[in-house]
Amino acid sequence: MSYECDVLVIGAGPAGLAAAVAAYDTGARVEIIEREDRPGGILKQCIHDGFGVIRFGEKLSGPEYAARYIDMVEKRHIRIRTKTFVTHMEKKDGFFFTQLVSRTGIEMIKSRSVILAAGCRERTGRQIFIQGSRPAGILTAGTAQYFVNMKGYLPVKRCVILGSGDIGLIMARRLTLEGASVEGVYEIKPEPSGLPRNIAQCLEDFEIPLHLSHTVMRVNGENRVESVEVAQVDAAFQPINGTERVIPCDGLVLSVGLIPENELAESIGIEIDRSTNGPVVDQSLMTSVDGFFSCGNALHVNDLVDYVSESAEIAGRNAALKSGVKRELSRIKKSENFAYLVPQLVDMKRIEEKMIFYFRPGKSAGKGTLRIFGDGREIMKQVFKRLNPAEMERIEIEKDTLEHLNGEIRFDLTTEG
Amino acid sequence: MSGQYGQKVICSQKGSSILLEGNVAEWTDVVAAGKMAAEIKGIKGVINKIECASVKKKRKAGGELTENVLKDRRVDVLIIGGGIIGCSIARELSKWDLDICLVEKEPDLAMHASSRNDGMIHPGLVPSPGSMKAKYNAKGNGMYETLSRELDFEYKRVGSLLLFDNRWLAPAYPILASRAEKNGVPSTEFLTGKKLKRFVNSKDAPSLNKSLESKWAVYIPSTGIVSPYKTTIAVCENAILNGTRLFLNTEVLSFERENDTIISCKTTKGDIHAKIIINCAGTASDEVAELAGDRFFTIHPRKGTILMIDRKRGHLTNTVLSMPNIIGKKDTKGGGIVPTVEGNLLVGPDAEEQPYKEDYSTSMCHIDAIVNQHFRLLEGIGKKDIITYFAGTRASTYLEDFIVEWSDTISNLFHVAGIQSPGLASAPAIAEDVSEKVVSKLKRMKDVREKVNWQATRKGIPRLAQMDPEQRSVYIIKRPDYGEIVCRCEEISKGEIRDALHSPIPVKTVDGVKRRVRAGMGRCQGGFCKPLVVEIIAEELQMDPLDITKKGRDSYILMRDVAVVENEKADSREEGDGNVV
Repeated sequence: MSYECDVLVIGAGPAGLAAAVAAYDTGARVEIIEREDRPGGILKQCIHDGFGVIRFGEKLSGPEYAARYIDMVEKRHIRIRTKTFVTHMEKKDGFFFTQLVSRTGIEMIKSRSVILAAGCRERTGRQIFIQGSRPAGILTAGTAQYFVNMKGYLPVKRCVILGSGDIGLIMARRLTLEGASVEGVYEIKPEPSGLPRNIAQCLEDFEIPLHLSHTVMRVNGENRVESVEVAQVDAAFQPINGTERVIPCDGLVLSVGLIPENELAESIGIEIDRSTNGPVVDQSLMTSVDGFFSCGNALHVNDLVDYVSESAEIAGRNAALKSGVKRELSRIKKSENFAYLVPQLVDMKRIEEKMIFYFRPGKSAGKGTLRIFGDGREIMKQVFKRLNPAEMERIEIEKDTLEHLNGEIRFDLTTEG
Repeated sequence: MSGQYGQKVICSQKGSSILLEGNVAEWTDVVAAGKMAAEIKGIKGVINKIECASVKKKRKAGGELTENVLKDRRVDVLIIGGGIIGCSIARELSKWDLDICLVEKEPDLAMHASSRNDGMIHPGLVPSPGSMKAKYNAKGNGMYETLSRELDFEYKRVGSLLLFDNRWLAPAYPILASRAEKNGVPSTEFLTGKKLKRFVNSKDAPSLNKSLESKWAVYIPSTGIVSPYKTTIAVCENAILNGTRLFLNTEVLSFERENDTIISCKTTKGDIHAKIIINCAGTASDEVAELAGDRFFTIHPRKGTILMIDRKRGHLTNTVLSMPNIIGKKDTKGGGIVPTVEGNLLVGPDAEEQPYKEDYSTSMCHIDAIVNQHFRLLEGIGKKDIITYFAGTRASTYLEDFIVEWSDTISNLFHVAGIQSPGLASAPAIAEDVSEKVVSKLKRMKDVREKVNWQATRKGIPRLAQMDPEQRSVYIIKRPDYGEIVCRCEEISKGEIRDALHSPIPVKTVDGVKRRVRAGMGRCQGGFCKPLVVEIIAEELQMDPLDITKKGRDSYILMRDVAVVENEKADSREEGDGNVV
């Protein structure tokens, strides 16, 4: 069986839903593919609040935020195919042919554009080279969150959390509220990875100790975790001899980073930016393959869902537009102190709206000045009171400013303190 | 020996073996003394009972009767150990009309060396001609093709490339070629710079590091790969289909002897009486021999660590690659890069002597050493591509050869011990030989006939991700669960997981599912699918999710509420005996 649509959206999380709505409103026939049994993505298990302050001006829980978009999708009668999995994709004669597997069998869907909104996955303990044994009780924060919030089970009773990413912080609080004891949150870097508000609300309010410049070296225990070995690290993240400590516990919860899921994008030869682990895109969030778009956490890991929705709308709108014009892409240059900058490319022939950039600085700074140059001339300047790699920054450049440029855009960040 | 160890080590003769006793400070000394004794010509084995102050004695698991399931069962053959060797022997013996019983102390098969290796079916080039390893290796290798077809497990003849980075090693080829001939290895090929370049530039060739291409290599086409645990499970399922009875969680505690014959074997699941006992207990085979009063060798466990590389990099080589360290130690040829049947790459193993047989913990220094040694062979492989790593221990004796023989002192005990690399490759040949010897002995005790309705084949769990769309559709239409993807990294469906839960050997653990269908073995390492697998096990086997374990015993995935745990004794959470009768 095979059928056609204009825009195929892969993923029905906050990115996919918003992208589908935007594409539909721009006039496209849209289909959404979702591998889980319900739309909402990871928001389904994020029962804490704080979602949607920018977008809706109120603090929503994850499921509430998702529900707003699910409503919009339903009002437009956009079909979401749940429990459906993409197994293969290829591009032929300007169309994408996507092979789907579901309980009804194998299908092929032909589309003009594809928006990959598959989100991200969590880095595992093995990927950060934790050593020792492999007992039960080692799990990522997201898996712990699923067990606790979706299933009502406690996967640990006395645990150590490694990594101060936001999900780790949220889970420190959540597990504590459910009666588990969190022995401490250990972070290898000298500063937390999560948002300052989560440090305050999830750790400080519950008197959970945060150990910066510390990491977990080993896990002990044959069947279930019996203890973990922690140590202080030096500036090169190497353990300092003599600082090792053994902490008895029954679990290790990991919040050590998120990796955008782009295996499908890679399979059709899309260029990946090694600093974001997401595709290289232009201002319309089109990747190096014409007609293939990326947004949300598959593009780069966002702190706030509000920005996920924003990028999805850009991708959705642009994916719906028919375009026969060949892109003329130039690479945006940036100074070395960026962790990353998205988009990485600009198509100067198609500046149809303001450009939105997302970036993270390479390291913390007391003050930062961003200067943007177009054709060698300063076109914009913005001062940041403080910069922190844990907090993504967003800036806009107006269409008028960009329109008359020939091609070269350069981002220059200077920091102090 | 007294020269180096003074009065600390006493060396004596026991039968045809050397017995070492005494006390030393470090484990390396224990091993060194054993190796020194092994140099003595003409001995049968080295029994190394030297104690070592720095080694903590580990509490032994099991040890007592948990449940009397065996109830003084009388059988023809008792096989101890559910690894590839025990299972292969069981299958061979199941061709005969015999009562066969296989006991395994773990909750599943292939829990030790048979799952903790790189799955390589060695060609047989390395063993010294005349050794037991040489006797079985190439022959076993040659049996895998048929075996894989009969038992429906994946087997690929990928060949291997032995690379030499030294120009002056080129003359070593005639030595290798003559060894290949003596060992029965078919058609090796010597590739000089130009030929190697042509080979490397051919389609599907490995992305060798550019600096290596002008060097020398020996290409051995007969090297194969399998999934070692899937193979063990396949072999055993077929043995079960042909009447073998498997008892899991069953550990041998002692033997009762009458003169030179074992009349009874006491296990944690009751007593069993067998006409013939086959010791295939892997790293514990010397302990089983000791229990029988026939210890003539000692296993000194040698740990090897293996790194698993993301399938994304699988295309870099579909041939086994290694650059042997010819001048170095002879204990290991130094490992290499081995593709897996599922498309990953495995890198390693290294070799480290350690006192503990079942300590599979890993260390950063070993991982770094493997990375430094092997990653340079391929272009485009990095530390970031490592998705997991694991360790295993080789069941090495001090003579470093297989023991496949009747006991000298006990009339009805057969030892299959010291089976380290190339044990997996040799297993089918060893099994055939052991079966022949055991059957001929049994024929003297009773009337033994071939089984008329013996079934050579076994059907595995379908692997939907590897099917073409039409075939896959047919399966899904028949059973929609095959269309519901649970493990997204490896594309494993709910139907395949359900099949695993209802396969001939009972599975109720998350790892048991993982080993059969790969759910959780991909790059997210079960982050997304582990909870779903727990749910499916609970639903399918009518279990409380709280009772589901990672790998048996008390490896619970979820924690019981504090209050409940205090009220309920932990032992009320029955593990189940996992009998297949």
